[in-house]
Amino acid sequence: MMDLTWYLLGALSCAIVYGLYELSQKQRLNWLDWTGLILGAVLILFAIAWSVGAVLEGVPRAGSMGMLLFGLPGIVLTTLSLRFILARKEKVS
Amino acid sequence: MNEHDMKDEQNDTPEKSTTNESRRNFLKLGAAGAGLAAAAAGGVTVLKRMEGLPLDHFPLPINDEYVRIDQRNQINTYSFSKKLNDDHPERTKKFHDWNFYEKKKGFFIGPYRDKAAGQGQLDRALGAAGFFSPVSQLGYKSTGMDSLNAGVASWEQTMLAKEKYKFASPEEATLCIKSAARLFGAVRCGITPRDERWDYNPLYDAATDEVLTWEKDFPFKPRSVIVVMVDMDYDAIATAPAWTTDGATGDGYGKAIKLAGQLAVFIRQLGYQAVASMNDLGMNVPYAVAAGLGEAARNGAVITPHYGPRVRVAKIYTDFDFVEYAKPRDFGVASFCKNCKRCADSCPSKAITLGDPSWGPEYSTDPDYIWQASKGVFKFHNDAKLCFKFWIENDGSCAACIASCPYNKPDFWHHRLVDAQNVIAPGPVHSFMREMDILFGYGKVSDPERVTKFWKSGAKI
Ligand code: SF4
Ligand code: SF4
Repeated sequence: MMDLTWYLLGALSCAIVYGLYELSQKQRLNWLDWTGLILGAVLILFAIAWSVGAVLEGVPRAGSMGMLLFGLPGIVLTTLSLRFILARKEKVS
Repeated sequence: MNEHDMKDEQNDTPEKSTTNESRRNFLKLGAAGAGLAAAAAGGVTVLKRMEGLPLDHFPLPINDEYVRIDQRNQINTYSFSKKLNDDHPERTKKFHDWNFYEKKKGFFIGPYRDKAAGQGQLDRALGAAGFFSPVSQLGYKSTGMDSLNAGVASWEQTMLAKEKYKFASPEEATLCIKSAARLFGAVRCGITPRDERWDYNPLYDAATDEVLTWEKDFPFKPRSVIVVMVDMDYDAIATAPAWTTDGATGDGYGKAIKLAGQLAVFIRQLGYQAVASMNDLGMNVPYAVAAGLGEAARNGAVITPHYGPRVRVAKIYTDFDFVEYAKPRDFGVASFCKNCKRCADSCPSKAITLGDPSWGPEYSTDPDYIWQASKGVFKFHNDAKLCFKFWIENDGSCAACIASCPYNKPDFWHHRLVDAQNVIAPGPVHSFMREMDILFGYGKVSDPERVTKFWKSGAKI
């Protein structure tokens, strides 16, 4: 099961890298955007891997804590970064 | 686009802008490459650190007060001998009028208790079956895992080959021995020179009440000690201090003594003398530390990478010395233990110290009370008598100090990541990691849910 998770996370990572590339082509990103997006994505991927591992070993509480402590900041960071990028785009246009 | 970028764009000619762009890209790529290289180098350093830093000395300081332990003062040996208990009424008196021999007689045979807490017939049956393995291998002697010269740990040099096998190099010899150990079930193996400091002196056979010496009674002069480790089942140990843990403890002993017995035959078939040993002959913890397998921890056990304290140690004494000896290693455990104390908090008998390492026991200075303790070693000194008393009262072994330890984790990637973090992080982070371990739900003891979980652990096989 963990092997399948790694495989899916690999595919998800590729999709994220491609998405970031596309975004950087359409919109000029500064270092803060890059940091926010990359860190956010890494935290989300990490939270998924952590939580699946924890559930597989039979400690669901560790899984939920992982989602809360890694996944939530990841989602907040990614959302905020995207919002700032979109806001700038609207301002420029 | 920020103001600064817009200004740049307005001032630049097209060629200048392209040159600046490519220079910027080049610098970005360079920075990314340097970042990746730094991360890789950091990763390698952490991995190396996790394997332990080799030390040129035994990691626990020892002073002149240290004397070799008389096996008669080893708590299990002492508890098996009526004679020793009769010889020392002052010890019984000082320890709540508690006669170790008399109390031990009722151990492991008491009436069934609360099934939900893991102390019912099912759990007792598991424990008895677990211990059937080592007890039968040691020839059903009444002295349990401390049996001297018994069964597969016999001193007789049976199957000793006449011709001595010649290895090309000490490295090759060590590798072959470790490969054989792996085949027979070891998860860790290291070879260290025999060190008399860790051997009981004199030896004592509690089954016959005989005092034995290394010089006159042991069949040869040992030169090396092969130290092996086997792991114990995570789910069963997690039920501590329920009787269910006895299944894992007994099975761990069984695997360890089987492995040590086989390895002793392997060495004898190479033409060299060898004797397998479980808890007898010498102390497992310092030998395991000397063989570079782990570090001595607060809970009195040895903590080894990946398994933590959830291991059983056995030894093989041999006169073969054409080997590459291991060095003790620093895995960062001692530093973690200073701040963690989780085992001490979880110990039902409060046998484990909450204090810092010291040269001797701090719980008492009365010689009639601290007769079993060693002095002159700078380590965590625990009161083994309290631990033993709890076992008897619990009518089963305990292992709460193993189950609660943050190093005791199953083999999942995220635990290895936390291990890596712990070896490089400074002390205050260790206290934080202990709290996180609790918050994430690990290491809880006396939890009936763990018992239920264990009894479902066979679902997928
Ligand atoms: S086995 Fe149990 S009683 Fe003994 S030291 Fe460990 S936690 Fe305490
Ligand atoms: S529980 Fe903590 S203090 Fe106790 S042995 Fe494990 S790491 Fe050390």
